Amino acid sequence: MNAVARSLWLAGSLGVAAGFVAVWHAVSAAGLVSPVFLPPPAAVGRALVNGFTNGDMLANLAATVARVFGGWLLASLLGIVLGVIIGISSRARIYVAPSLEAIRPLPVSALVPIFIGLLGFTEQMVLAVIAFGALWPTLLSTVHGFGAVEPRLYEVCRSLRLGRWEVIRKIALPSAMPDILAGMRVGLTVSLILVVVAEILGSREGVGYSILLAQRSYQAADIFAGIFLLGCVGYASAGLINIAEKRLIYWRR
Amino acid sequence: MQALPPAVTFPAAAPAAAGKPVIRFIEVGLSYGQRRILEGIDLDIWRGEFVSIVGPSGCGKTTLLRLIAGLARKDEGQVFYNGADVREPSPDVAVVFQDYSKALLPWRTASGNVALALEAMNVPRKEWADRIGSLLDLMGLFKDRDKLPGQMSGGMQQRLQIARCLAQEPKVLLMDEPFGALDAITRQSLQDEVLRIVAERKVTAFFVTHDLEEAIYLGDRVVGMAANPGRIAKSFVVDLPKPRDQLTTREHPRFLAMRHDLFSFIKHG
Amino acid sequence: MRANQPVIAPSRMSQGFDPRNLVLPVVVFAIAEVLALAYVPADSFSLAAPHDVAVELVRHLADGTLMLATAQTLGAALSGLGLGGGLGLVFGVVLGLSPAADRLMSVTVETLRPIPPAALIPLSLLVYGFGLRMELAIIAFTTMWPVLVLTRAAIRETEPGLIEVARVLRLSAWRTATRIVLPGAVPRIFVAFRLAAAISLVVAVTVEVVANPRGLGYGMMLAAQSLHPAISFAFLVWIAIVGWCFNWSLVWLERQFFARRGAE
Repeated sequence: MNAVARSLWLAGSLGVAAGFVAVWHAVSAAGLVSPVFLPPPAAVGRALVNGFTNGDMLANLAATVARVFGGWLLASLLGIVLGVIIGISSRARIYVAPSLEAIRPLPVSALVPIFIGLLGFTEQMVLAVIAFGALWPTLLSTVHGFGAVEPRLYEVCRSLRLGRWEVIRKIALPSAMPDILAGMRVGLTVSLILVVVAEILGSREGVGYSILLAQRSYQAADIFAGIFLLGCVGYASAGLINIAEKRLIYWRR
Repeated sequence: MQALPPAVTFPAAAPAAAGKPVIRFIEVGLSYGQRRILEGIDLDIWRGEFVSIVGPSGCGKTTLLRLIAGLARKDEGQVFYNGADVREPSPDVAVVFQDYSKALLPWRTASGNVALALEAMNVPRKEWADRIGSLLDLMGLFKDRDKLPGQMSGGMQQRLQIARCLAQEPKVLLMDEPFGALDAITRQSLQDEVLRIVAERKVTAFFVTHDLEEAIYLGDRVVGMAANPGRIAKSFVVDLPKPRDQLTTREHPRFLAMRHDLFSFIKHG
Repeated sequence: MRANQPVIAPSRMSQGFDPRNLVLPVVVFAIAEVLALAYVPADSFSLAAPHDVAVELVRHLADGTLMLATAQTLGAALSGLGLGGGLGLVFGVVLGLSPAADRLMSVTVETLRPIPPAALIPLSLLVYGFGLRMELAIIAFTTMWPVLVLTRAAIRETEPGLIEVARVLRLSAWRTATRIVLPGAVPRIFVAFRLAAAISLVVAVTVEVVANPRGLGYGMMLAAQSLHPAISFAFLVWIAIVGWCFNWSLVWLERQFFARRGAE
């Protein structure tokens, strides 16, 4: 497909999305749905503009983004380190992996009340929740990636007499990189969900908290504005991962 | 055991060269469960010799190669390299695997793949550029030095793997059906390149193949194996003139006689 | 078929049972018990000794509290999955079969998909109030996307050779879709539902912890807020057990499914 056709399709696709917004506008203008639930698009736009000009939307957004990325980076680091250990050590696979396997399906949001009890309504609590919850996809995919390294490459390394650490760094990690990044992508989605949960339950700032406040005061437009912002954060972070994938796994078609 | 008498008689083994053999198998045996992979393998390989190993699939010829490489275990007997028991891979011994696409790092360029061997040998970084350049030049890959393996043809990838092996500056080059997956034209040109390199660098070569003509064309000696249990059933010296040539050598009456003899050995045991 | 999608494969870190697997949990519980006996006062607001947790777990299992909550949570998760998975399947098939529709919907889909479901809890609460409906809406919204995306991909990646066979046989578009494309996509659609099912339980518990006064998540939250750590830990342990069993049965179902088809 050439560039012209692609931009035509994009324009069409934007048109369809605009059409949905128009329907939304028509529905709320005609009063089919109460504006308490479904504010008109223009009201959401005003709420966004107001939030950024005279409210603390920017501060909330910054707090949320910092937590998402801080927690996600922490989780990814933990996941990769644990994954590498389990990936290379048969002892870790026997003693540690089954326990991790057993707690993996635990819905992490159930831990939030416990974490609040232990750490209080603090920044550490939010980070701990995200780090614990977002660690699993990366951990699993790292283990999987290490298990899927081409055995022939290990033979090449043995025949070249490469050391254990060199094999991890030069062979196993690059080879597992597509899996690791795929896991980190899921981890980022999990982080975004958990940041909202943690902010609603135990914080005094952030976009999640602002949505909660809006709901309590029946400000539907502000709820929609907050959801829109979180959607943007999700969209932007997925884009960042795409860029990272292009750069880090350039060697895969 | 032989169904047909050999058409021509050949000397049974290499002329007793001076000194000790580089590689020596003594009564080597190996089983996987009930299956007998190797039995009673006795084989001496002399410095600078090019030994071709042929045999039906499952006869253990690749296992023989992996034993020299220090990549496989054995149940009985001994495998010596330069008089010492082989327990692990030696820096002097390089292995060219058949599945070149799996044996190269897909995320490194041609230069980077050759560099892997230099890293393993702790070669000072300032020597890298020269050595990588001359090796890639030798294998005709210099202009492709920044390409990734995924961007290269099969023949180029196998050349690259050979370049990486040569970067080890090996004394012994083990090749496991290296040209089995290549088309006929590429295979012939790589055969000649391997012959040239082996002669220039005076390395000892151990070449596993199932292509009888390839075995004779390349080898100073051909060792034929039989399966169940894997054992050496035939060994003869290839007394064809050198340098070999794809046209004249393959039409040489001695070549045809040896091919006939080897073929009937493989077919009838 | 699975090589291209690393995360989809239910990669397990360990295989088979080995008594040594139990060493770590036993040691951790023993240490926790000793530390709790030594340092945690009986009226602690945040921590509880493992034996207290065990007592509460048994008590709440015996009086039916946990069973009712489990039924509520699993019921919401599975009906939400039915709703969201069904919608995702329909949209996924349509977008998979029609590249034009897919391109036209791409901006809409890519805008809605990254919205974190937790952010919808306040909205759903505003619209539906407390109860099953607000929970269902969020579970359905969340599970719809993975099913949509994976169904679309499964249909898109039909073996081109099979499409050519259909063209040679001059099958109509409808027959090509129903005889060739959809049957080929079924295994991956099944995997999509397994993934979405796992997500549905997580979302159900999340909604209950955050807002909805029903199910396991709420029981846990209530105990934590009323400063009964032993009870909230008992709920946590039970949620972990339910989560584990739920995932185990999903994997088991998938294995039965693939064993029957003789695939993989």
